[in-house]
Amino acid sequence: MSSTTTITKAPKTRPPAAPINILDNDTAKLYTHIHPILVLSLYAFQFKSIVADPVPALLRTLIPLSVLQIAYVAICLPPTGSNATPVAPPKPGQKKKPVPGKLESGIQGKIIPAFLSLLLSTLAATPVLTITLILFGAPIATHHAHTLLCAAHISLLATLPLIYVHGVEGEKWREIVALLLPIDEVYGAMIGAVLGAWLGAVPIPLDWDREWQKWPVTIVTGAYTGFAVGKLVGGTLLKGKKISFE
Amino acid sequence: MRGRTILLTVANLLIPVAILVFATGFFPYKPFIPGLAEYEEIGNYAYKFGKAPDAPFNKLVFMVVDALRSDFVFGEHSGFRFTQSLIRSGTAIPFTAHATSPTITMPRVKAITTGSIPSFLDVILNFAESDTTSTLATQDTWLAQLKAMEGGKLVMYGDDTWLKLFPDFFERADGTSSFFVSDFTEVDDNVTRHVPEELLNSDWNAMIMHYLGLDHIGHKAGPNSPNMLPKQIEMDGIVQQIYEAIENEEHLSRTLFVLAGDHGMNDGGNHGGSAPGETSPALVFMSPKLKQITEGTDGYRCPTTPKADFDYYTKIEQSDIAPTLAGLLGFPVPRNNLGVFIPEFLHFWADGSDRIQLLLRNAKQILTIVKATFPAHNFKDKVQEMNCEGSLSSGEELSCKWQNVVQALETAAALHPKMRMDIIYSFCRTAQDIMSSTTSNYNVSRLILGTALAFLSFTLTMLSIRSKLSSISSTGIFYTLILLLYGILMFASSYVEEEQHFWYWSASAWFAYLFIAESRKEWFSKWVFHPAVMLLIVTRTLRRWNQTGQKHAGAPDIAHSTFLLHPLVLWSLVGAVYLDITIRLSRHIARSVMDPKKSREEKGYAELESGEGDRFVGMLAVFPLGATAFVFKLGFTAKDAPELVKGVNGGLFYWVGDLGLVGVARMVFVGLALSASWLVISEWRRTKMVKKGKESGGDLAVALFDLLSLFLITQTRAQNIPVYLLFRMQIFFLTLLNLTPTQITITTLLLTQTSFFALGNSNAISSIDLSNSYNGISGYNISAVGLLVFMSNWAGPVYWAIVGVLLLSGHPSSTPLYRDRYFDEQEIKEEVKDWVKEEREHLNEMLEKEVQRGREKGKKGDWEEHVALLTLWMGAGLGAVMCACTVLRTHLFIWTVFSPKFLFAMAWGVAYHLGVSVGLGGGIWWVGGW
Repeated sequence: MSSTTTITKAPKTRPPAAPINILDNDTAKLYTHIHPILVLSLYAFQFKSIVADPVPALLRTLIPLSVLQIAYVAICLPPTGSNATPVAPPKPGQKKKPVPGKLESGIQGKIIPAFLSLLLSTLAATPVLTITLILFGAPIATHHAHTLLCAAHISLLATLPLIYVHGVEGEKWREIVALLLPIDEVYGAMIGAVLGAWLGAVPIPLDWDREWQKWPVTIVTGAYTGFAVGKLVGGTLLKGKKISFE
Repeated sequence: MRGRTILLTVANLLIPVAILVFATGFFPYKPFIPGLAEYEEIGNYAYKFGKAPDAPFNKLVFMVVDALRSDFVFGEHSGFRFTQSLIRSGTAIPFTAHATSPTITMPRVKAITTGSIPSFLDVILNFAESDTTSTLATQDTWLAQLKAMEGGKLVMYGDDTWLKLFPDFFERADGTSSFFVSDFTEVDDNVTRHVPEELLNSDWNAMIMHYLGLDHIGHKAGPNSPNMLPKQIEMDGIVQQIYEAIENEEHLSRTLFVLAGDHGMNDGGNHGGSAPGETSPALVFMSPKLKQITEGTDGYRCPTTPKADFDYYTKIEQSDIAPTLAGLLGFPVPRNNLGVFIPEFLHFWADGSDRIQLLLRNAKQILTIVKATFPAHNFKDKVQEMNCEGSLSSGEELSCKWQNVVQALETAAALHPKMRMDIIYSFCRTAQDIMSSTTSNYNVSRLILGTALAFLSFTLTMLSIRSKLSSISSTGIFYTLILLLYGILMFASSYVEEEQHFWYWSASAWFAYLFIAESRKEWFSKWVFHPAVMLLIVTRTLRRWNQTGQKHAGAPDIAHSTFLLHPLVLWSLVGAVYLDITIRLSRHIARSVMDPKKSREEKGYAELESGEGDRFVGMLAVFPLGATAFVFKLGFTAKDAPELVKGVNGGLFYWVGDLGLVGVARMVFVGLALSASWLVISEWRRTKMVKKGKESGGDLAVALFDLLSLFLITQTRAQNIPVYLLFRMQIFFLTLLNLTPTQITITTLLLTQTSFFALGNSNAISSIDLSNSYNGISGYNISAVGLLVFMSNWAGPVYWAIVGVLLLSGHPSSTPLYRDRYFDEQEIKEEVKDWVKEEREHLNEMLEKEVQRGREKGKKGDWEEHVALLTLWMGAGLGAVMCACTVLRTHLFIWTVFSPKFLFAMAWGVAYHLGVSVGLGGGIWWVGGW
């Protein structure tokens, strides 16, 4: 292997990761099914204006989307650390996530991590996704705002809930990237959104001369659709399954 | 094991068979009627004719201006002021002559001279011009007719396509060939300098001129190039010179002067397809005598605006030129003609019966072809009852139209001549439509058979790897998915045009997949520098190198960026590529010159790495080759694209000029051949001398690959050469990834395709780069030119096919560095501290393992599987293309999108897959095992 890269072996002692279960209350169980419908409706409602003028429309849509996503994670998902599986203690020097104190109310203990997840997904995940989009063929000299907003949408859809439930621990994210975690509705939604965005590129070269074929409408559409499908399939059919590469 | 090999061999052999069977059904060989047409008995009708009508002209000046689009002559911004004044004054009659696809010169010249509609097969023959089936020497053309006339002598100046099509036809000729598109002036001056003297000669009855400069300007800089208007003015000046000679010279008084474009050009200045710009060349008939037929009419406004895109004045078919010339110059219509006499010129004959006779001869000539095509139908020359109601097949419709003609002629009643003429025109035009529409010409059963054979090849390959199929892996799923998707996309015309998007898209996904797959095994803490991520970055850069396809052709890209095209930047990068390859080659030579026996005697063991002295000898031997290749590229570019070498010292070109580019290119090729044979011989000697235990480790395979890449670079345009640096980077990162054989095969597949498009190719005929097709060749040699054209257009795929083999056989195609890291036995035996000794032994062990792993890779089964997966791909891909062409054979885009794709698939299947991937790759694999 190249000498410029160092390799950290995965510690063998980690307990197997368990799929994320949604919170065990009626509101969570109900809202988790309403949420994708709301997200898709939001997108469908904004679709015309996104096609007409992508940049302002995508920017506008980010706000209701983040509200919906925050509501979803706060209502339905267990914040990081509260999960049944024990999390390795943070290494020295690593960014610490505030762990909700016992005295703090449940709402606060959820809302603050939710907002932190929003912040992290916007500030950290969006640039990474923007570069990924460009590597996958997004215009490099033009449409910068388009690509950035497209990445922002994908990161709100795909990474915000993941950060909320898994935190920012490096080892965890290595497992997330390497597709080693068992599938659940959060993980499924992420995979769905990313695959959807990738498949969204297929109609662009077709000669249908439709307005919606322009960058990045199909990518965002693919991400939203993939998010809903992945969330549904991940939470039901494939729940708990592991992805095998062999 | 045997059975597998046989299945695979048969599957591979089926590929060319499938292509051939399909091609014969798709491009049917049109039976042509041999011999020269003669005036025949016109037949005995109630309507009586006199003798053949007199011709108004006896001489012809036929001036072709390559790529003369209609608006260049008729538009507001035209430089053809004099020609326009002739059109206004009524001594010139303008047309837009519709050229059918493929809009490239040779098929167009065929259409103009024979009046037939050349088949798509002529595209291939255009690149194989010396093929005997493509010459028109034995066919009936207006040239043959004019030559056969009493005292007929032809002269020809300009594009040597004419000389190839009409060998030994011309009394005097001076052909110019278009080696360099950057040549705007010399190609035309070569023609113009003959004009004044020929206008004084009275011995010829036809003079043909073919100017190439305007086409070159188009290719180089498009229709809006600043050079375009001066060129048009220059051409107009020649028109004026000739026209004035016709007015003044007695012996030219009955001369018809035709100015024609063979095809047009699109907004990019290219042609070959069927965009309105490409299919609308200008056509002008000029003579003072034309005044007598335009007098009664309103005349023509000029300049004017087109009715639709480039559609000026009356639109005629290009094939109509042949019968019109026949009528105007008084010879029988060429036998294979499908053109119809242009109605405007009928006014030369005052007598209605003459006009009808002229048309009837035209119609009867077309009828012979119609009869040959529809032998089952009734085209009798007498009045009869026919059922012409309801929907008719093509044959029935023509049969009815002909019956109308017969009835009109058998009516003795005082019919207005116009009515009889309309009926004949109706027959001719319908015949022209039906005979030129291709739908009736497919041999559907062959199409289906060809497609079935391709799928049979696919099935046989499947059977040969059936043991692999039972285990499902993510790699297998990826392969299957892109195979399926590719098959589906072959039915979408826009994805055929924009095929590169599919490949870039799946290649990025593949590298992302490799990143994930590797991350599952071990995690790079610096994941940003993970080889797979680096591969993504390099692929993204390659993607930007050349914009291809239809939609984004001409969009900003690296190959045409002002940064790269700054001569200093460009030539530094090109120089780096040449330096890299020269150093690599020098190492190979160094290895070959050192004497293993000697080193064994001196040091007691056979050293495998060359010493300083050997390296010096190696460099000394290879440097001239590398330098010559570089100088050739520089000299070639100076001629082909002078703007790229601005500021480069002119002294260099003097000695290139002395030798001639052909000589320098030959020196490079001979140098390559000599180096290759030297390396093979010395390797063979070494394997005899060095004991079996020490294998060569595939050094010869790597050496041959490096020689091949120097050849490929020689066949690549200067602004694409830096791409080879990116290829090197890709190879480097690929060797860092620990790929399984199947993954190597898929990587090879994806990179062969992406590199094809990254080097600027697409599935359009106009994108074929011919600039490097004559390197080192002075005359015309079909196999050499064919090889060079293939190598220059498929340089990327050829390169990657061989890299794939090297990766598969475990020879890192970057230099085998690991040898330097061995500690030899002596060093270990030395008296050193124990832990140092242990450490050294441990390192040696690790290296052994690495080498072992390399050896494990080079198993025979891997090669078979590699070929099987590639054959599977080829069979399925070909099958999909053929299926799409069969199903969509009546599609609007069949001749513009799907047939070119099939032509490319032919090249991929036969030349690339069998010739390079299996043939050359197999050779390198075999050599690697020495």
